[in-house]
Amino acid sequence: MAIEKPKKDPATVLRDRCPTGIEGLDNILNGGIPRGNTILFTGSCGTGKTTLSLEFLVHGAIAGENSLFVSVTESSDKLMKNVIPYDFFDETLIKKGTLVFVDMPVIYERLGLTEMELSLEDVNTIVKAIGDLVDELSIKRLVLDSVTSVCYRLKTEEKIREFILKIGKTLSDRGCTSMLISEISPSAERYSLYGVEEAIADGIVLMGNLERRGDLLRTLQVVKMRGTNHSRAKYVLDLTPAGILLVPLLKGGSGGGTT
Amino acid sequence: MTDTVSFGIPALDKAIMNGIPKGYTILCLGSPGAGVELFAKRFASVNASKEAVTYFSTSERDEDVITTMKDFGWDTNIKIVNIGTMYYEKVLAKHLEVSRYRLEGLTMKDIRQFKMAQSKEDDFGLQNFLTTVTYEISKMKPPFRIVLDSLNFFLEYYNHKDVLSALRTIKAHTQHSGGVALVTLVKGVMDSHIESGIEEIVDCIIELERQREDFEFKRNLLIRKVRNHPEKTGILAYTIDEKGISAKSVG
Repeated sequence: MAIEKPKKDPATVLRDRCPTGIEGLDNILNGGIPRGNTILFTGSCGTGKTTLSLEFLVHGAIAGENSLFVSVTESSDKLMKNVIPYDFFDETLIKKGTLVFVDMPVIYERLGLTEMELSLEDVNTIVKAIGDLVDELSIKRLVLDSVTSVCYRLKTEEKIREFILKIGKTLSDRGCTSMLISEISPSAERYSLYGVEEAIADGIVLMGNLERRGDLLRTLQVVKMRGTNHSRAKYVLDLTPAGILLVPLLKGGSGGGTT
Repeated sequence: MTDTVSFGIPALDKAIMNGIPKGYTILCLGSPGAGVELFAKRFASVNASKEAVTYFSTSERDEDVITTMKDFGWDTNIKIVNIGTMYYEKVLAKHLEVSRYRLEGLTMKDIRQFKMAQSKEDDFGLQNFLTTVTYEISKMKPPFRIVLDSLNFFLEYYNHKDVLSALRTIKAHTQHSGGVALVTLVKGVMDSHIESGIEEIVDCIIELERQREDFEFKRNLLIRKVRNHPEKTGILAYTIDEKGISAKSVG
């Protein structure tokens, strides 16, 4: 009689990781984001979402993984200037095409998506366009900043659900690890503006501001991450020229002095 | 005595006031095939060497306008502002591109090309061609002659109130500068209240009517409105042959 092997807990099966290159975050995630996951990075303005996502892409590009930043609200020319001051940034990454910036409004314009409210058909068109770019450029890391701005033009829960599901599947099928940046108000009691995004994403990283001893600290907390065990503790995030530093809230918070 | 300029059709000039009074805006309308576009070209060519003439075309290429005028031996010393070509380049060509991108997919090259084109184009976005027309007309100094062929293009793409407003602007400039303007309209395409709105603004209405009688067309030129001169309204018979348009009294 054959002995049945015990089933492994899916969370303990070691999935291939996509190291963010941010040491503190990789430690929290046991080595990085499970490759192919679509993660919602959510928080109010000024919490460091865009900076963190840019660092994720730059580290990927340095490691030879083609990385794509899709900017919905800010011009990519301006964003590029934001990464130049970082010690770890190498301008040749852009020249070589390892790090690519694309403006979503250009995609909208090229595809004739000029109506303020996009249809379900438009959702498919956008997802296909992003998938085509990922294929063409062999993209392994992608940031969409912000998904909230896209959802704003989708309006209905049905279309937002369709978009998040399809973009997640399209990117995952291509082995692309992705960060969807989500804007929420500081007082929001959920992780995304429309509530749909958080339910569908493979992971949620919550970024916030915390006032302590007269100082406003940036915080980061991994709320959910499919495919890995992780700490759910709150960390203090410090933006330095050398990149993002993370320290546990109790230790980091007591000292203050973060910028 | 009223200062007038010629239509280029002697019988029509005679029927009105030995020509069209300076400052007038004329509407020429008719069904497709009645010869409205040809009437517009004849009007444009009459005094082209002495007047500044701007011909706004919405559906013909520049060379089509010029070739037609040359075929009839008319003066082609006119400026053509081709709204139809502009619309194709700025709008329709983009629609064609959109279809291609949607079906064949979008590449980085397409995105980069767009960004480069965008940085070169000052008037990026939807150009308002009504504004283009009124701007061009505002630059004209007397003596001038304007032909706008046709209003249907603008009524199709813009809010009707905006088109009527632009027509009022054209009329005001023509009136105050002592030029003449001719606008054309294909009859029966727009709602009657829009046609009525246009007819109310213009000073003179010429309708080209074509009726079938057995195996030939009978052509009538209806002078439907001459501002302040209702006695000048009437009907002429007109013919189109290799020499152009000619008219004669009937009855």
